[in-house]
Amino acid sequence: MDNRMVSVAAEEPLIMGNQTFHAVTDTISKIIEGKTPKLWYLAISISGSVALMFFGLIGYLVWQGIGIWGLQIPVAWGWAIVNFVFWVGIGHAGTLISAILFLLRQRWRTSINRFAEAMTIFAVICAGVFPAIHVGRMWVLHWVFPLPNQMSLWPNFRSPLLWDFFAVGTYFTCSFLFWYLGLVPDLATLRDRATNKIKKIIFGILSIGWRGGNRQWKHYELAYLLLAGISTPLVLSVHSVVSTDFSVSILPGWHTTIFPPYFVAGAIFSGFAMVMTLAIITRKIFGLENFITVNHLEKMNKIMLVTGMMVGYAYSCEFFIAWYSGNIYEQFAFINRAFGPYAWAYWIMVTCNVAVPQIFWFKKLRRSVPVMFVATIFINIGMWFERFVIVVTSLSADFLPSSWGYFSPTKYDIGLLIGSFGLFFTLFLLFLRFLPMIAMSEVKGVLPQADPHHHGHDIANRRRDS
Amino acid sequence: MSKNINLNGKEYWRSLDQLADTPQFREFLQREFPQGASEFDNGMKRRDFIALLSASMALASLAGCRRPVEKIIPYVIAPEEIVPGVSLHYATTMPLGNSAYGLIVESHEGRPTKIEGNPAHPSTKGRSNAHIQASVLGLYDPGRSGDVLFKREKSDWSRFLSSWEADYGDYITSKGEGLAVLSESFSSPSLARLAELFRKKFPRAKWVTYEPVSDENIYEGTRIASGKGCQHIYNLDKCRVILSLESDFLQNESENIANSAGFADGRRVESEKDEMNRLYIVESGYSLTGGMADHRLRTQSGQIGGFAAALMLELESQGLRIDIADSPDRFKSLDFNAIPGYDKEWVAALARDLMANKGRSLVLAGRSQSPAVHAIVYAINHALGNIGRTAVYRPIKDSAISSRDNLIDLVGLMNMGRLSTLFILGGNPVYDAPADLGFETAIKKVEHTIHLSGFADETSKRVEWHIPRSHYLESWGDAVSVDGVRSVIQPMIQPLYGGRGSLDLLHLIVNGNEVSAHDIVRETWQGILKGDFEKSWERVLHDGIYDQKSSSVSDPGLDRRGLASYINRHLVIPESSVDNLEIIFRPSPNLFDGRFANNGWLQELPDSMTKLSWDNAALISMKMARKFDLANGDMVELDYDGRKLELPIWIMPGQADNSITLTLGYGRIAAGQVGDNVGFNAYKLRTSKAPYFGSGLLIRKTGAVYKLATTQDHSSMEGRPLVREASLEHYREEPNFAPEMVESPPLKSLWAEHKYDEGNQWGMTIDLNVCTGCNACTIACQSENNIPIVGKEQVSHGREMHWIRLDRYFEGDIDDPSVVHQPVGCQHCEMAPCEQVCPVAATVHDKEGLNTMVYNRCVGTRYCSNNCPYKVRRFNFFNFTKDTPEVTKMAQNPDVTVRSRGVMEKCTYCVQRISEARIKSKAENREIADGDIVTACQQSCPTGAIVFGNVNDSGSTVSKMKNQNRNYGLLAEFNTRPRTSFLAKIRNPNPELISSDEGNKIENLEREKKQS
Repeated sequence: MDNRMVSVAAEEPLIMGNQTFHAVTDTISKIIEGKTPKLWYLAISISGSVALMFFGLIGYLVWQGIGIWGLQIPVAWGWAIVNFVFWVGIGHAGTLISAILFLLRQRWRTSINRFAEAMTIFAVICAGVFPAIHVGRMWVLHWVFPLPNQMSLWPNFRSPLLWDFFAVGTYFTCSFLFWYLGLVPDLATLRDRATNKIKKIIFGILSIGWRGGNRQWKHYELAYLLLAGISTPLVLSVHSVVSTDFSVSILPGWHTTIFPPYFVAGAIFSGFAMVMTLAIITRKIFGLENFITVNHLEKMNKIMLVTGMMVGYAYSCEFFIAWYSGNIYEQFAFINRAFGPYAWAYWIMVTCNVAVPQIFWFKKLRRSVPVMFVATIFINIGMWFERFVIVVTSLSADFLPSSWGYFSPTKYDIGLLIGSFGLFFTLFLLFLRFLPMIAMSEVKGVLPQADPHHHGHDIANRRRDS
Repeated sequence: MSKNINLNGKEYWRSLDQLADTPQFREFLQREFPQGASEFDNGMKRRDFIALLSASMALASLAGCRRPVEKIIPYVIAPEEIVPGVSLHYATTMPLGNSAYGLIVESHEGRPTKIEGNPAHPSTKGRSNAHIQASVLGLYDPGRSGDVLFKREKSDWSRFLSSWEADYGDYITSKGEGLAVLSESFSSPSLARLAELFRKKFPRAKWVTYEPVSDENIYEGTRIASGKGCQHIYNLDKCRVILSLESDFLQNESENIANSAGFADGRRVESEKDEMNRLYIVESGYSLTGGMADHRLRTQSGQIGGFAAALMLELESQGLRIDIADSPDRFKSLDFNAIPGYDKEWVAALARDLMANKGRSLVLAGRSQSPAVHAIVYAINHALGNIGRTAVYRPIKDSAISSRDNLIDLVGLMNMGRLSTLFILGGNPVYDAPADLGFETAIKKVEHTIHLSGFADETSKRVEWHIPRSHYLESWGDAVSVDGVRSVIQPMIQPLYGGRGSLDLLHLIVNGNEVSAHDIVRETWQGILKGDFEKSWERVLHDGIYDQKSSSVSDPGLDRRGLASYINRHLVIPESSVDNLEIIFRPSPNLFDGRFANNGWLQELPDSMTKLSWDNAALISMKMARKFDLANGDMVELDYDGRKLELPIWIMPGQADNSITLTLGYGRIAAGQVGDNVGFNAYKLRTSKAPYFGSGLLIRKTGAVYKLATTQDHSSMEGRPLVREASLEHYREEPNFAPEMVESPPLKSLWAEHKYDEGNQWGMTIDLNVCTGCNACTIACQSENNIPIVGKEQVSHGREMHWIRLDRYFEGDIDDPSVVHQPVGCQHCEMAPCEQVCPVAATVHDKEGLNTMVYNRCVGTRYCSNNCPYKVRRFNFFNFTKDTPEVTKMAQNPDVTVRSRGVMEKCTYCVQRISEARIKSKAENREIADGDIVTACQQSCPTGAIVFGNVNDSGSTVSKMKNQNRNYGLLAEFNTRPRTSFLAKIRNPNPELISSDEGNKIENLEREKKQS
């Protein structure tokens, strides 16, 4: 059976505007080579200031102690951990798009994978800051690593916090390598197009001698495939491990076996939402509508619809299990979550994460850029609240009612959350300006011109025989 | 809900506000971020504090390792020299009003660091209370005064000396015309000897004794009833039935340690076969004693006299011959049914219970009650044959008793300009004298005023001379306990601030020259001790007591006629109506009358019942709050007798309706850096006519809201089996009710469990049946383990550092709930959830079963706290000890690490004491014996509720406790295997009253539900 015919009928063209190879290279490289837009200066001055505030606040935090936050006993983890999980979750989309969609031959990924990966790396950087600064004595944080020492002291390998360090560290390393490897052919393109010596040298070093030869392409593609293979389990593992930070504990509301898949689904959900938010802005500003088409966005919306429902399922499943367990502490934790002092946060979460994605059942809304932009913002907010609900409400009312408390953030909590966005956007803006935000070499591969067989006369008939 | 929890039919209600479902609470639910926490240094302004303290630091460094020059004798062990690192123990005595508490003080290299009760002394019996525990911090208070002040300017002692010497001769000639002394009350042979000399030398001079909170009414009542001035001593251990008429004898009355110990002895059960005492209480506010009661009747303080009369008549109608009841015509005019909460059945059942326990019962009234009530109570006890058995009396000797009337006379003389010199020996009358006397203005009319005080306080600021007073731990003196046991106050350290004691000053007043207090005391004791003086003197210093047996008279008799006529004239029962609000003044359980206001430990210590820290509030019932539309923290203006005070309110379940309780001791303006402007000064409304309660109070909501810091936001157990409780009847039917309250699946671990079956395995039991919730353990732990205070701001953010806290839960009807207390420290779980999650293994188990905390290794992830189901771990959110004044550092225990910022801490089972005992036993080549190790909380507990020891030794006390059928582990169903276990609480309600009580409560509950 010729499945090509089926897919031909179903698929819209991935890249619009009948681009040539040269046009692709030109459009994307010119963003880097051309004059810096004024808007970029404005944007980076804002995000840069916020990032500076972030570092300033960290300095103050180190100086004063984490008491400047709203933490207390019982709520000994607050926004720092919420932000950490939030950013790690955001960081899921990139690798998922790059690795899993690559392995699944979802070639529509080529338009968005580069900056989704970049976003992953920046999100993981933001995430990584929080566990490091949330500890009481930041200056001895290295004790968490299994470093040889004269006391022969090892970290506690039973602690999920330790697993966390390994999981996030591995994830960051692999994601970074994966991203960098994908960049190499494009960096070489930029090197070749460079008009001054400094650029030539920098891009020359970064492109590690890429010449575009056949053997190089062969090795490159193999390496890319291998890295995709290595990264794929990481997509699932990193947030599963992060979820064990909670599920390994005995705290009602944390101690649930559903957490790993629930967290992974939530991470993909939030990651896609963030990719969407960024993609919608970027394609508009840099005029990349032909590369990141509404078809791309619609596909992502479908994924969000699916993961959003998975998350919704997890929410309801938790309630069912709490009731089914017969454990009064567990039951209380969930009733308290939905109807207790933090009910407002819970219902924000449910509205944003479960109700809002339902609009994507409708094709018209699924393909409306303004609608999806607003929806993704809601989902970003909702996913932050999901972590807030899990971390804070569970802690605030656990076993002994005598210790119950109510966590309120301080200006430093809020400042650090905003500041992390500053850091994220600063890194992202630098990336947009100095590196090719769309994988030129890969996009070229999905142009009709890249398919030399000309079986049909339709430009949509671009699939390689495999 | 669930099937596996058997609550034995107890109804536990949800949080107070939730039950009430007030708009404020709904608002609280909805508000997002109510109030941002702010930085640490906002709270106490520690940096300013430090700046002001530089002078005292210099002082402290001079004081470094001072030791007394005069000879004091170490307790028990007397080494040749001090061995560095080895603590010495000395006996001394802490005087407080007419009480004397015999103490053993632990001293490290010449500085006292920890105070315990003296086991040989009848007032402490080796136990203590929060005031005693915290007094060591008072010694090292940087706010203490160090300078003689003349008209508020720095002066010196010699100038004062010459000024007095110039006047002395004149007063001798005039026989003391125009001279007066206003002293605190005391019971001291030396002070009494000098006071006697004073009267001889200055017969025309005036001597007045005044205490804002004293047993004056009790003495007066006893005097009226018996015709003799007698000191009362209660033997609560011998009581089967106790009725308290607003006497908070377990916490807020004199001799609360001996009372608590005696009460606990009569209440303790080892098995379901044991008997226990029964406590009835009638009171307005909810006291600690009320919390322990088996039956509690809420009524206004002013109505308690009527209740006493009703009881008297009821007892008589049941055939008790009281002899006087027929004569007080006053009784006939009383309408007992008008007493709120009055229940004839209740009184009849109580009377039957008392009748059935003649000679084994006791009726006591609180010091707030009028002498008439005390006289009635005395008569009842007399008729019941309790006098001489459960209440014994001894003649008052060597004591100065407070008298309000004398103070009124004195102020009258001052206003008339009849006084030329007034010595104020201790006390702070400008702050705490009755507001209607106008002491503050009267004092200006006296030419020379001299105030001896530990602090340059409110009074010091208005006198001519302020003389710094030495702390009891740094001065010589002596004291008589209420039992008549005499002891010496021996100093532990040279005066840090160069102050003088009452003895020094009184001797100067009397004799016009200076003699050291040491010599004064020795002179007195020359007349007391028999035989070889030096030998006996050393014995007294060593033992801490002189008389072994208390000198008591069994029965002072009953003055029937005097009693009846007094009652007829003086028993005043105000009309009780909804519009006639009652104001009640109670001393603070923490700050007492305000004298401990600059003590940070006591300020931060949450009130046992309200759980408020660093503040006082007007306590009102839920019903009143609804009526006046008030929520916790709402500011109200109280108008009593034309005097006004604004303060926040706090809803106290169990408070009598239409009664508002104010706590004295707060709102100081010259207490020192810690105590200034903390809370609200209730003395502003307190007059000589209504020293403890009065009616006719007006209340008005101002609309302002005040932030109160509480350490416990939620007061319901949410139906969880945390404090397990049953009636004695139920306990007898189901002796294993406590462990059987929770069923759990087989508790199995994922990995091979450690056996913990070798050597010493430490464990603890806490008997909830005798724990009163008095807070002594919290302060003892704070003192022993160098626990920092954090200030109101931090407490309101839930960052208090106490290693052992008292959880207080209400149950039942919101207007009239019962209350339970549960001390919770680290449970030292064998399968500790905290240990598993620490990434750096900073909290680990040792082979003796201790859950240890390695501060040096802690990086501060706080995961251990999150995973601790008991939430007993405390985190150093800031460097809480950074700004500890140098002088206060001297109070720290050198055996315990001072924790820095960013590390977790928690109860260690006093591991330093375990180590000390281990070293000692090794040196003596023996095993650690049961009782060698006493944890700080255990040592201070006045009721002996806490037992610690080796659970691996079946003969140890702790093992025996754990073998009792009431033993259960808190949250043990999570397989945490806590080493601390609790023994369930048993109440002993009168079977006659159970049905009606329960019926009323259920009825009330239903009514409440309908209303809300």
